Amino acid sequence: MALDFSIILRFQEALALGLWMTIKLTLICVVLGCSLGFLVGLARTSRRSLLRAISGVYVEFFRGTPVLIQLFWIFFCLPLILGVELSNLASGVIALTLYMGAITSETFRASLKSIGPEQLDACVALGLPRRVQVTNVILPQAVLRAVPTLLSNCVSLFKESALVSAVGMADLMFVGQNISNNTARPVEVLTVVAIIYFVIAFPLTRAVTLVERRVLAKLAI
Amino acid sequence: MMSANAPLVSIKSLRKSYGPYIQVLKGLDIEMKPGERVVVIGPSGGGKSTLLRVMMGLEKIDSGSITFGGEPYISSKGSDKKTVIDTEVRRSIGMVFQHYTLFPHLNVTQNLILAPCKVRGENKVSATKRAHALLDRFGLGAKANAYPAQLSGGQKQRVAIARALMLDPKLMLFDEVTSALDPELVAEVEQVILQLAAQNMPMMIVTHDMWFAKNIASRVIFCAGGVVVEDGPPEQVLGSPKEERTRDFIDRVFHIRH
Repeated sequence: MALDFSIILRFQEALALGLWMTIKLTLICVVLGCSLGFLVGLARTSRRSLLRAISGVYVEFFRGTPVLIQLFWIFFCLPLILGVELSNLASGVIALTLYMGAITSETFRASLKSIGPEQLDACVALGLPRRVQVTNVILPQAVLRAVPTLLSNCVSLFKESALVSAVGMADLMFVGQNISNNTARPVEVLTVVAIIYFVIAFPLTRAVTLVERRVLAKLAI
Repeated sequence: MMSANAPLVSIKSLRKSYGPYIQVLKGLDIEMKPGERVVVIGPSGGGKSTLLRVMMGLEKIDSGSITFGGEPYISSKGSDKKTVIDTEVRRSIGMVFQHYTLFPHLNVTQNLILAPCKVRGENKVSATKRAHALLDRFGLGAKANAYPAQLSGGQKQRVAIARALMLDPKLMLFDEVTSALDPELVAEVEQVILQLAAQNMPMMIVTHDMWFAKNIASRVIFCAGGVVVEDGPPEQVLGSPKEERTRDFIDRVFHIRH
């Protein structure tokens, strides 16, 4: 049986809609997940042991279990606990945000820890109040240092988001599987879907290098 | 009111230890008069840097007190010996560190104006104007928009000095500010400090550079084992020290005995 890629052309529109859903889901979860991750990163470096303990349990749980199970758990169990039916999109967003929050919190924690104590000495010697130390000295450096790893985290999330097809969300992966089932052309369809994922993820991974060379090298941080 | 002869800084029985066994300062008494330029020399681990860090309020103390301009600003109080620091008084003191400690994400001008704008509420335009004037004076006018990573060690240290001066300190502390520099960059930093000395800025300097000590000091303190061993004019302490331990140290750093 010869490979026939022309079949894909008939499903352009469906694939575009799937891709749009994947991008939308990724963007929402990047924004929510990074915000959550930053707060959790702060909590994990906090002086309060209760905050450290709660945030630690959350991070270890979500880093240590498969995303697919987290997704199923939120899709099936959360409605039972909350007593409300969640849409596919809502459960996908909740699951991936919690996952993204857990992995980016580790990124932020590492970048917060990498700011040397001598920076704080300088703050004290200049008489900067605590609030200014955090907002003008610690925060900007922590975020800048985190950027390369955060971009990698985003690329991972973009690819992991394919898992939401398992709970019936019509993302790129879901559409691809549907087409491949209906046309019995899995090789052609899934190859094209993989290429689409790659074409978007690859420039992002290159952006990581670019940021490292241009921005971070200039600041040497 | 401060009279002309009242001490600028008065350190009384200052004690400081790291943990239960390592005593760094063992009852230090130093009085510094206005206009004095005190250079503190001594072997590593003798407590020189710790003294400066304590004076800046960066370290807790075990006991003792420090007054500045007659006002006590560092003391230890209560049964748990908590270190109490008066931050208002402390703002009259500026400090420059061995490793520059510039803020890497801010350019030179932003480094200089951060504290004046945030601490004193100075407006950005006037702070920037003062910053540029100061940078010009230190030969750094062309670097106003550079980031710290784009500067040489000597330039970084001059920026660090300018940053401290932006707050109009009444006393400057220099903690081994040339120790991390390549030898050919030391002079440009020392020139800037000499320039300040010519304007009668009171300062306390920890350094290993004996040439510099001789040139800038109005008084030299030899500190070893957490106490002041010898204290006097530079000609005495560096030239013909009275104490055996000072003599040993000076001989060794000047490589006289071989």
